[in-house]
Amino acid sequence: MNRVPFSPLRTWLIAQNTLLEAVRQRLFHFIVFLALALVLGARWLRDFNFGAPELKFLADCGFGAMTFFGAALTITATAQLFFSEIENRTALTLLAKPVWRAEFVAGKYLGTVLLAGGFCALLTGLLMAVLWVREGELMAEFPETFTAGRTVSYGMVALAGAFQWLKLAVLAAFGLLVASYAQTQLFAMASGFFVLVICHLQYLAQEAYARAGSLAGELAGRLLAGLVPNFQVFAVADSLLAEDFPGGGAVARVALYGAGYAAVALGLAIYCFRHREI
Amino acid sequence: MRSRLRTAATALALLAGAGLGLAPIAEPVWRAQRGREPALRLQTAAAAGQGVTLALLGGFRALVADVAWVRMYALWERRDLPAVETLLRFVTSVDPRPVYFWLNGARIVAYDFPVWRIAAAGGHDAVPAEVQQRLVREHAALGLRYLGAAMEQHPRSPDLWVEQANIQLNKLGDLDAAAASYRRAWECPRGPFFAARLHAEVLRRAGRAREALEFLRTLHPKLPPNDDAARAELVLARIRDLERELRVPPLLEYRPAR
Amino acid sequence: MDAAAPFPAVAPALETRGLVKDFPVGLRGMKLRAVDHLDLTVPAGVIYGLLGPNGSGKSTTIKALLGLVAPSAGECRVFGVPSPRVEARRAVGYLPESPYFYRHLTGRELVRFYARMGGVSRREVDGRSDEALAAVGLRDAADRRVGTYSKGMLQRVGLAQAMVHDPQLLILDEPTAGVDPLGAAAIGELILRLKARGKTVVITSHLLGQIEDVCDRIAILDRGRLVLEGAVGDLVGRKDRQALVVEALPESELAELKAWLAARGRVLEAVETPRARLDRIFLDRIGRRDGAEEERA
Repeated sequence: MNRVPFSPLRTWLIAQNTLLEAVRQRLFHFIVFLALALVLGARWLRDFNFGAPELKFLADCGFGAMTFFGAALTITATAQLFFSEIENRTALTLLAKPVWRAEFVAGKYLGTVLLAGGFCALLTGLLMAVLWVREGELMAEFPETFTAGRTVSYGMVALAGAFQWLKLAVLAAFGLLVASYAQTQLFAMASGFFVLVICHLQYLAQEAYARAGSLAGELAGRLLAGLVPNFQVFAVADSLLAEDFPGGGAVARVALYGAGYAAVALGLAIYCFRHREI
Repeated sequence: MRSRLRTAATALALLAGAGLGLAPIAEPVWRAQRGREPALRLQTAAAAGQGVTLALLGGFRALVADVAWVRMYALWERRDLPAVETLLRFVTSVDPRPVYFWLNGARIVAYDFPVWRIAAAGGHDAVPAEVQQRLVREHAALGLRYLGAAMEQHPRSPDLWVEQANIQLNKLGDLDAAAASYRRAWECPRGPFFAARLHAEVLRRAGRAREALEFLRTLHPKLPPNDDAARAELVLARIRDLERELRVPPLLEYRPAR
Repeated sequence: MDAAAPFPAVAPALETRGLVKDFPVGLRGMKLRAVDHLDLTVPAGVIYGLLGPNGSGKSTTIKALLGLVAPSAGECRVFGVPSPRVEARRAVGYLPESPYFYRHLTGRELVRFYARMGGVSRREVDGRSDEALAAVGLRDAADRRVGTYSKGMLQRVGLAQAMVHDPQLLILDEPTAGVDPLGAAAIGELILRLKARGKTVVITSHLLGQIEDVCDRIAILDRGRLVLEGAVGDLVGRKDRQALVVEALPESELAELKAWLAARGRVLEAVETPRARLDRIFLDRIGRRDGAEEERA
């Protein structure tokens, strides 16, 4: 009997199908539309005539939209695209084929990550375009402020977008880990938002435990630091200035950190799903 | 049920273990970032409502501060002093990282507030001169306190030192303090050339021409020759003016290296 | 991916040995036994009916055979391969009960997707998909979104996705549910054609008439246990009786016949008017009308 090895092709086909399902859904159109509207709507800041600092406000709006709507999109997509297979029993038909459960979970994950990646690329591109145009207008209006040329580091903006995607990929992996185990979509979504907040705040808890001064506190802080990633690390590129550009070593560390957590959470999601009854 | 619990416990244990292995990878990056990250002042945010607190906890401090700043600006146009003052404090408390907020906040406090108060009291013709003076000095001192708080966050920002010098010079007439502040601005990393020139000029106005001359003589050789902002020829002209003013003998006049 | 690897000719298509499946109920460790020590063998190359009332364990048995649920005890095999292994599903095509498919895909996209999942190569997928859609009569609707399909069309596209990768074994759970009599007859003919090609087909259905017409063997489950199993002909036929169909006899000739039988120690147990099957009348009428319309067109 010939073994059926794990197939990246089948995983990719499932990912493609997942992405197509998301892209053809109105909810995701709505979230993307809101995010784009927020970035474009920030142009009304022109009315206040802040000058060069307006670029900072535009960037903060863009990064904020990416964070908020990106997280909403990722959490919703991960839970909904996974649970729709279980609840609608399309998973029955699919897993009755010679498909590994690992391929199924990995395919759903990859599809969600591609969706988040497309979203981040779209918003990053739009933000860069808005900044480019506005910076040009400001350079003409306030030439004395731009004696050294353009001040915005577009490489930094692109890096910030990439790190945002990495953060959403980690969030999707944790969302899938919960979904692989949870019984309802609502629980999976609520847990996803819970994970998002905890990951943003875990550094505060860690510091509080460390300040407590006791061994138990320190161990609790370390355990928390291990269980959930520190999402603040991915904000290392949230600046417009070239001088703030992190070095290659820092970029590699953040990338490895994010990819490591995503891989571990995905592996555990596959582990939890392997005996789930469909 | 027991097998589900076992699966969950195994997954959590593996996650914690893997996480402990991954934490050291990001540790250097986080430590550097944390050093630049000011503390989150949730008490101020709590006064603004749950939504703001949630937004801060969710990592949106920059956006919260920006929105509050824009709101402050709208109130600034209406000259609502108490509201503007409250929002200025809120913005710098939520996100003290941008120098822009501190700089413009100090300017509003030192320059705009006294004008508003005089206008509210009847205008420059109606308010006695000594009262106007008192208001100007009072708000200049408040502006300087504001900048003092800013410098705790940004000790090496030349813009803040220049702003402090401007207030000391224009509002308080304190030439010695202004000269010292301009000097501090020049000594910051990427300190502007004009701060050095202003330091010398204010020293001269304060009757310390000899100090000004010594300073410019040590400054001129360091100025890049092809930099428009450095204005090396202007500095040389100022040296000549001071040498004439101080009747420096020709033999002791400054000779540029090139 | 190789969808056409040979399976051992002698291995049964499906086999369970002592299959038990319990589901936990509530928090106090109580269990519901859905399948109770089931020993079942489905030989290769037959059309096999799996019958039973609701809750008899048919769907659970199928899911255990497909590796979708883990048995609490016992084992299941597909062509000799243990069910939990992925290889076991390489030769299986499955149509679930009340199928629900990806609404966002067209019929063609859906069948292509499942074809690729089943191991059909990129080179062959278009041809195979078209064949499968034509076989179930969905060629005209293939480019519409599945979300717009009627229940009957969903059944048919489900059948297409089950067949597209040419599996050795098809498991069809209520294949004619929601399908009109014409469609049901077409599905019945399709199943017979599949058997003629050497395929094994396992059907579950509540429409016993269809099962009787199509299946070679059946098994009846009740409360998770096998209560009856065997060839359809053996189970429904009565070997100790004969039915003769003649033209309507007048009373006098009927009496003569009774007397003749009585002289030989036989009893004429029943005299009945043969009844045509309603589904045959329907098919003959509608089929003849459709054929005439096609000729006129």
